[in-house]
Order: sequence, then C-alpha cells, then structure tokens
Amino acid sequence: MRYGMAIDLKRCIGCYGCQLSCKAEHGTPPGVFFARVVKREFGTFPNTQLVYLPTLCFHCTNAPCVDVCPTGASHYREGGVVDITKDDCVGCRACMQACPYGARYFNETQTGYFPGQGLTPYEQKKYAAQNVGIVLKCNFCIDRVQAGLEPACVANCAARARTFGDLDDPHSEVSQLVRLRGGEQLQPELGTRPNVYYLPPA
Amino acid sequence: MARSATSDRLLADLGATFRPQRQWVEGRGIWLIVGHFLSGVGAGTWLFSLWLGYRPGLGLALAAVALSGLAHLAFLGRGARFWKMYRARTSWIARGFVGMTLFLPGAALYVLRPGGALGGLGLALATAGAVVLIVYKGNVYAASKGVPFWNSPVLPILYATYAIRGGLALLLVALPLGGRGLDAHGVGFLELWVAVSAAVMLGFYLGVMRSTNLAAQRSVAELVRGRAAPAFYLGTVGVGLVVPILVGAAGFAGPLSQVVLAAVGATSLAGDFFAKYAIAKAGVYIPLMPAGRGPAAPAA
Repeated sequence: MRYGMAIDLKRCIGCYGCQLSCKAEHGTPPGVFFARVVKREFGTFPNTQLVYLPTLCFHCTNAPCVDVCPTGASHYREGGVVDITKDDCVGCRACMQACPYGARYFNETQTGYFPGQGLTPYEQKKYAAQNVGIVLKCNFCIDRVQAGLEPACVANCAARARTFGDLDDPHSEVSQLVRLRGGEQLQPELGTRPNVYYLPPA
Repeated sequence: MARSATSDRLLADLGATFRPQRQWVEGRGIWLIVGHFLSGVGAGTWLFSLWLGYRPGLGLALAAVALSGLAHLAFLGRGARFWKMYRARTSWIARGFVGMTLFLPGAALYVLRPGGALGGLGLALATAGAVVLIVYKGNVYAASKGVPFWNSPVLPILYATYAIRGGLALLLVALPLGGRGLDAHGVGFLELWVAVSAAVMLGFYLGVMRSTNLAAQRSVAELVRGRAAPAFYLGTVGVGLVVPILVGAAGFAGPLSQVVLAAVGATSLAGDFFAKYAIAKAGVYIPLMPAGRGPAAPAA
C-alpha cells in the first residue's frame, strides 16, 4: 500500500477549492496552508500565460524532512504517509528547511483570523488539536482515509482534478492515470521520490 | 495587530518566486545563530586551550558552550522537550545535541578535577564532544535540501574553519584578562593564517554557489546586493576578515600589544557571528515553479 495522488493540470481551474476545503477540514491558523495553489504569470503583455500549480505535502518515499528530524517526530506511517507526532516535535524547524516543496509550517502563536476579538468557537475547537511551537503539515487527511473517505482537497475539487489512491495497485485509478497520462513528479532530480504526480495539460 | 503583520508577510513570502528563509534567522531564529556561533567558538577554544596548555581557556570554552545550549533552548518552539533529541538516527541536530551532552559534563569534570581517572574521562568526553560540535553545524545546514545555498558539502568545511578561528579569537580576547603563559604572537599569527583560510574558503563557497541552480544564485545575489548585504559587507568581510587580516599582517613589522591582539580577536568573533547570520539570512527556498522573469535579481 502506497498512498498517492495525481493532479490533472488540464482540469485544474485555479479555483482554490482545495486550499479552502483543506483549511475548513483542519482549521489551520492564518498563514498555514496544507494545500495551496501557486499561481505564476509568465511572458509579457500581450503574450502572457497564467499557470496554476496546486500543491500539498508530496509524501515523498525518500523524505528529507524525516531524515533531518532530531526526535523522530516526522515519520512514515501506514501507506507511506509522512506525518508528525505532535508530542515529539521540539519546533527546531529543520524539516521546514529540508522540504524542497515548502509543505511545512511553523505554528508560532495561537492567533485567530479576527485579531482583537479572540478565537471563534470554530477556531477554539480546531486549534486545540494544533499545538503551538511545533511544525504542522498535510497528512493526506489520514483520519478521513481510514474512515473510507477521500482527502478533503480531493473530495471538494470542483473540476475533479485530483485523484487519490494506492500507487502500488496497478489497477487503481491513480496508478492508471499516472501511467497513461505520463504523470510527472516535481523536481525528480532531488531524489525525494514524491508520491504526488502531476498530469501534464497537453 | 501582530497576527496580520506576521501572516501577511508569510502570505507575501508564499507568493514570491524565491521564498526567503526566515525561520532560522529572524524572530526567535536569531537565538539559533547565537547558539551555533557560541558552540563553535567554545569547541574551538577548548581544543586550542588543550593544545597550548592554557587552563583559563578551558573555563571560557565551557562557559561558551553552556551559553550556546541556553541559546538553542531559547530558539526551540518546545524547548522543554529537548531531551527527545537523543534519538539521533540520521539527524545532524541530534548528533550536535549528543556532542553537547558529551562536552558539558566532561568539560566541567576536567576543569574542576583535572587529574586522575575521572579527569581523564572528562577530558576524553569533552574533546570528543568538541569535535562533534565543530563538525555538526555545517552539516545541519548542508542537510537542508529546501535551501540550495546551504545544501553543499563546502558549507560544513567553512563552518568548521570558522569554529577553529573562533576558538583562537576567544583566546586572543582573553589575553589582557590573564594571558600569561600563552604565546600571544604565536596565537596571533595562527589567527591570521586561519583568517586568510576562512576568506579563501568563503570566496570558494560563493564561487561554487554562483554556478549552482537558480535558487543558490539568488541567495548569492541576496548576500552581495540584497537583504543580507549589510551584514555580509560590514560584519563578515569588513570587521571579520579585512580588519583582522590587515592588523595581523602588521604584526610582521613588529610585535603587537596584547590589547591590539584582543581587538583582533573581538573583530574575528564578530565576523564569525555575522558570517553565520549573513549566510542564514541569504537563504531562499527552491521555487516550486521557475521564475517568470529576472530570477537572479534580489528584491529591494
């Protein structure tokens, strides 16, 4: 079992639905995005192009963040999911420097979206699970997956650009998409072997 | 509105092609730089004090490494959990922690009871710990795949050179405070030699990084004409290299006073600190997508 994801860049419309649904699912503090859409403009007017790249933790098979963690808080769990044991993280942030994909965030202070007004009941409930002074990251919504659901970013993608499944199963939809559409990993030269593949638009 | 200032800056960073590294240099991150600086200086001082038979230096080394431990604790988000870092495995941070744990009790034992089997054990532990402390810092940075400017085998050598130099520099600073029995001019010339070596190593490192990938090139640009440039030119190059090398070279013309040598030591220490600070400050992460235009131009 090796969980993975394929993101179809032909289907992605850059709506930020994945980013927002992830925030709603995990209730992450301001400035923390387990899933986010990177937008870049290329070219000069009038020949310009707007490119969207939906990102998340790539749950690498050779994750550099796991190698540098001094306490073992960053670890591989079932299905190759890279996760953090919150009680073991010392907040050294070495994993943030090691991750080539910028998928980790340091939870510096417990502040909400409405400064000066305290935390909303929603924030109070969600923040209780996210300790201050440690690093946070995407875990492929492993609780949802274990309950038979898809990760929030997959379930809420309006264009069905994201497909989640078992990359070790050659008959799974995600494996077939990666094989048939020529799925590409981001920065493969780094040797991290990410388990998130991008399906090229053309 | 502290929240909006921090998160707005984070959002701006996330939107940038070359996201600047801030965690290990800004805010509480400055304590990490202080910790790395002090641990290198302390370990270097220990080794040179042993070599030169200068006992007051051993106490200084112990104090520097102890302060470095406190600085590290001040940096950690959850400092009370520091003991969990014994699970070394593949982490250079954990190896550094083990080095510090060997050094502190070993050095204290040797400083308090230099003779006998217990003193010998303390000496062995402290010396092994000092070697680990000199080696580990550069490797912590070099293991950071997300920041190509640091992800180089040259950086551990540069940091080890600076640690050795820091050790000599602290001994020079200690000269007017009780440097009898120490060959002041010998230490001064050794310091000059290591300063020149550090300058060559720094130039070599920047030369290598200039010909690496776009993110490393951008970091070099940040260092020489971007947000790390003031610390680099004033601290690392001016105070840290040019002044000690010029004053040290003047020593060939005639003996320098202990006060001048102490000043050379102090400027060398400042240069050591600013080298670590500037290199950390210049770090940028690998871009997820290539830049649209002008990748090597630093932000204003």
